[in-house]
Amino acid sequence: MDNPHFNSPPITRNMIGKRVPRSEDAKLLTGRGRYLNDIDVEGQLHACFVRSPAAHGRILKIDTSVASALPGVHLIWTSADIESQCAGMEAQFSADGCLPMTMPLLAKDVVRYVGEPVVLVVADSRAVAEDACDLIGLDLEDLEAVLDPRASIQGGPVANGERPDNVGIRGHASFGDVDEAFNNAAHVVSALYHPGRVAAAPMETRGCLADYDWAQDRLKLWVSAQMPHYVKLCLNLYLGFDESRCEVISPDTGGGFGQKAHVFPEEMLMPLASKHLRSPIKWVEDRRENLLAGSHAHEQFVTIEYAANADGRITGVRTHALVDGGAYHMPPQTMAVESWCTAAVTPTGVYDIPATEYVYEAAVTNKCPMGAYRGVGYMAGTLARECLMDDLGRKLNMSPFDIRRLNVVPEFPWTNPQGIVFDEGSWLETINVLEEMVDYPAFLKRQAEARKAGKYLGLGISVFVESSGESTGMLKAHGMHEIYHDTATVKMDSSGSVTVTSGLNSQGQGHETTLAQVAADVLGVSFESIVVDAGTSTKGAYGSGTVGSRAGVIASGCVNRAAYAIREKLVAVAANMLESSEDDIVLENGMASVAGAPESQVSIADVAMAIYWDESLWPVGFEPEMEFTKAWDTSRPMFSNGGHAMIVELDPATGFVNVEQVFSVEDCGVMINPTIVEGQIRGGVVQGIGLGLFEQLVYDKDGNLSTTSFLDYQTPTMDVSPPFEIRHLETPSKISASGVKGMGESGLIAAPAAVLNAVNDALAPFGSVLYELPATPEKMMRAMQGLVDLEGPEPWSKLWERAGVEPRESGSMETA
Amino acid sequence: MTSTSSSDRIEIDVEINGRRRAVVVNARDTLADHLRNDQKLTGTKLGCEQGVCGACTILMDGAAVRSCLTLAAQGDGRSIRTVEDLSEGSSLSPLQEAFKKHHALQCGFCTAGFLMSATELLESNPSPTRDEVVEALSGNFCRCTGYQTIVAAVLDASEQIGNANG
Ligand code: FES
Ligand code: FES
Repeated sequence: MDNPHFNSPPITRNMIGKRVPRSEDAKLLTGRGRYLNDIDVEGQLHACFVRSPAAHGRILKIDTSVASALPGVHLIWTSADIESQCAGMEAQFSADGCLPMTMPLLAKDVVRYVGEPVVLVVADSRAVAEDACDLIGLDLEDLEAVLDPRASIQGGPVANGERPDNVGIRGHASFGDVDEAFNNAAHVVSALYHPGRVAAAPMETRGCLADYDWAQDRLKLWVSAQMPHYVKLCLNLYLGFDESRCEVISPDTGGGFGQKAHVFPEEMLMPLASKHLRSPIKWVEDRRENLLAGSHAHEQFVTIEYAANADGRITGVRTHALVDGGAYHMPPQTMAVESWCTAAVTPTGVYDIPATEYVYEAAVTNKCPMGAYRGVGYMAGTLARECLMDDLGRKLNMSPFDIRRLNVVPEFPWTNPQGIVFDEGSWLETINVLEEMVDYPAFLKRQAEARKAGKYLGLGISVFVESSGESTGMLKAHGMHEIYHDTATVKMDSSGSVTVTSGLNSQGQGHETTLAQVAADVLGVSFESIVVDAGTSTKGAYGSGTVGSRAGVIASGCVNRAAYAIREKLVAVAANMLESSEDDIVLENGMASVAGAPESQVSIADVAMAIYWDESLWPVGFEPEMEFTKAWDTSRPMFSNGGHAMIVELDPATGFVNVEQVFSVEDCGVMINPTIVEGQIRGGVVQGIGLGLFEQLVYDKDGNLSTTSFLDYQTPTMDVSPPFEIRHLETPSKISASGVKGMGESGLIAAPAAVLNAVNDALAPFGSVLYELPATPEKMMRAMQGLVDLEGPEPWSKLWERAGVEPRESGSMETA
Repeated sequence: MTSTSSSDRIEIDVEINGRRRAVVVNARDTLADHLRNDQKLTGTKLGCEQGVCGACTILMDGAAVRSCLTLAAQGDGRSIRTVEDLSEGSSLSPLQEAFKKHHALQCGFCTAGFLMSATELLESNPSPTRDEVVEALSGNFCRCTGYQTIVAAVLDASEQIGNANG
C-alpha cells in the first residue's frame, strides 16, 4: 500500500547539513532549563514508596498504623486500596511466542524483585514521606528467589506465577538452507557471549507530577518520558481517564536512552492519588530507586555459530538469544523485544550470509524487569556477530578487516535471508575507511614494539547496520501488524514567522534546532524565523515516541510534509503576485522569486500577509489556511550503517583497560546537523565503553542488588573516556525527507563489540579470549593467567527441543 | 549535646550570587534543597544525592562543593555561587559560550555542575593543560556527551578568557 503520508516532498538544502549551534543551549547553560523536579504546582504534596526488600516473598502483613499517625502524612495506599481502580498493566510484544504478563501498580500478595513498589505514601514533603515509609512494617514470608535465567528457562522454581514455566517469550525461525551450510562447512566457529546487566542511568532520574482538577475533571501530568502520547493513552487504558481530559506535559528532560520509553507503575499511581486527594502530587525518585527499579537492560546469553567454507566465507549462522528478563514485562517494551531482536534482526548484519536460523527466549527471574536502553537487542546481537567474526578471522589467520571484507555484502539492493530488503549502504567502504583511519600496518608495528616493552595494545573493530527510524515499514518487514503514528504541525503567521510543533520530544537530542533547520529549508525562510515546540505537550502534534533512532527521520518527515503544504500556499499566491507560473517560483532566503528572473520577487512575509489579509492577491479558488498537521511514515525499512575501531591498552600490573582512541565511521545519509550527529556517536560509544569495561548491576545470591549508587555502578567519567576521530559517509535514503537516516543508537549498538575485540587482541599474547562483559580488572587479571570462565553454548539439540523444532544433525563442531 | 529534630529550623546569614540575606532553613535540609526549594534557584541539579555525580556542584567561598552533601546550615557566613550567577547580563559567559560552540551539552542536566567545577578550575588555574582539565572534572558525570567536547570547551574558554585579559 502506498499511502500519501509515505511521500517526502523534495527539499533544496541550505540549513540542512550545517553545524548550527543549538537554540536550546542558552537556556540550559544558564540554569533556566525546566526539568521535572524544577516544576512546582501550588499546594503540591510529595510521594515516596516502600519498596520490596526481598527478591521473592509472600506479603503476610503491611502495618501502616504508626506511619498514618505521623503529622503531614495524607495518604497511604497498598494494593488493596487500588485494586478496584486498576488491575495492573498488561503487556505483550507481538513477536511469535510472546506471552502476556501484568505488572501490578503495587505488589499484591507477592513481591517479585527487590525494589518493587509495595506501599505508596503521600505527605507534605518528600522528607516526611520518607520518614513515614520507614515507619511502615512489612512482614514477608520468603519464597525461593529465581535468579539464574539459564536454569529458570528450563522450568523449576517459579519466579512469577503468571508464567509458571518462567518463559516470557520463546520462538524460533529458519531461513535458507542452514543445515546444508553446517553439514558442508569447512569451518564452524561458535561461542556464548554474555554482556552484563546494565542500566541506562540517565542523569535525571524518573519522575512525574500529577495535578487533577476536579472542578473541570481535567488531569495534567508532567512526566519525564520519551513517549508522552503513549503515557496519555495508558491513562485511558489502565486508569479509565478520558484522553481528551488529559494533558501530558514533557518538560526539559535530563536524558532517557530508552529507560524513559516505558510506562511505570509510579506514573500511573500519581494521577489516581491526585484525583483521590484533590491535590497535585509530585514523585521524583532518587538514584538508588532508579538503579533498583528504573528498568535494567542488555543482559543476555547469546550463542552464535557460523558455518564457513574453506576460504572463510560464512554460509550460515545460528543464533540463540536468552534474556534475563526480570519479574515482569515492563510495558510497553517487554523483556521479549531484547532477545527477539538479537536473534531475528541482527545475525547477518552487513554480511552476505545466505542462511540463518534462530531461537529466542526470555527467562522470567526475580530481578528488576528488563527494559529498553539504546540499541535494544541490537547491542547484544552485534557483540556476538562481530566478536565471533574476529574468532573466525583468528582461526583463519586473517586480519579483522580482511575477514569482514571477504564476507561483506558487495552490492545493493541486498535481500537478507528473512527477505528484508536493504536499499543502499556503504558497508564495504566503512571497513576500508576504518582500516585507513587506524593505519593498520602502523598499528601492528606499534603493537609489536609495545609488546616487547611489556605493554599490551589491542585493536578492535565492529561494523553495524541499524534500523534507522523505527517505522511502520520496519514492523511490516518483520511481519508485525502494528503501525506507528506521528505528526507535525507547521503554522506560518501573517508576518512570515513560523511555529513548528513536533509530536516527538527531546531528551537532549536537539530537536528544537534540527527541526528548525528542516523547516527553514522547506519554506525558504531563515532559521531564526522558526520556533520549534518539540513535543512539550500532548496538546500539540502526535508522536509514537522518541525511540529506535527515529526522531530525526520521522519528525523531519512530518515537518517536511506539513511545511510543504504551507509552501504550496506561498507558491500559489506568490505566482499570482509575480504573474508567473507556480512551477517557476523559488522560495529562498525569505524571498519568493521567479526562476531566471530574480528581480521579479516578493518577500515571503509579504506573501503571508497577503494570504491572511488581502484577498485581492489570491489566485481564483484559493483556500487560505496556513496551519497544517501532517503525518509521515515509511512503507519500507531504512537502514544506516557504520563502524567503530578502538585502540586499548591493557595494564598488566592492574588489569585495567584504557581506551586510547576511538575511530568512528557513520553513514546516516544526509545529516541535518553533523555536530549533533557526532554528539550522538560520542555519547553512545562512551556508554558502550561503560558497558564494555565498567558498568555492572550485581545481584547477590539472595537477589539483593548490591550496586545501588554511582560508586558501585560505575558509568564512565572523563578520565576514562577517549578522544574520537569521526568520519562521515553519505548514502542518502531515497524515501526520507532530504535523505536523512536515523543514528541515535549506533554508538551503543556497536561499541561494546569493538571493546571486546580490542580487549581480546590485547590478550592475544596470553592465549586467552574473553566472551563476557564488562572486562573488569578482575576478569583481565584472571585472563592474563589463562583463566577465563568460559561456559560452552547449550547444544542445539536441547535448544531445538525447547523451541519445539524437529531435531536433526546439527552439523556443529565443538570449538576449542 | 543537643539533638535536632526533623522540624528544627535554623537561621543563617548567607550570601547567594552576590546578595547577602538572613534566612531560616530546615535543619535537615541540604544546601541543594535550600537553593532549589527555598531560593528557587533550580539551575543546581540533583543527579544522585550520594555525593558522586557532581551535578549539584556549587561554589562556596570559591571552592567547588557538592551541595547535596552540604547542609543548608553550613552556608552560614559563606558566599555561594550557582550557575545562575555565571552569565553576564543577557549574554553567555566565555565558558558558557564555549560549551555551546563545542556541543558540550546535550540534555543539560549535568551542565551546571560541570560549569561550576570548571569555573573553580579556571579561577585558580587560568591556563590548565588537558590533563589538568580531566583531573578537575572527572568527578562530574555526564551520560550524554562522552566528555570530549567538554574538555575542548574548557580549554577553549581558558584561551578566550586569557585573550580577553590580554
Ligand atoms: S547530586 Fe550531589 S553529587 Fe550527585
Ligand atoms: S548533557 Fe546530559 S548528562 Fe551531560
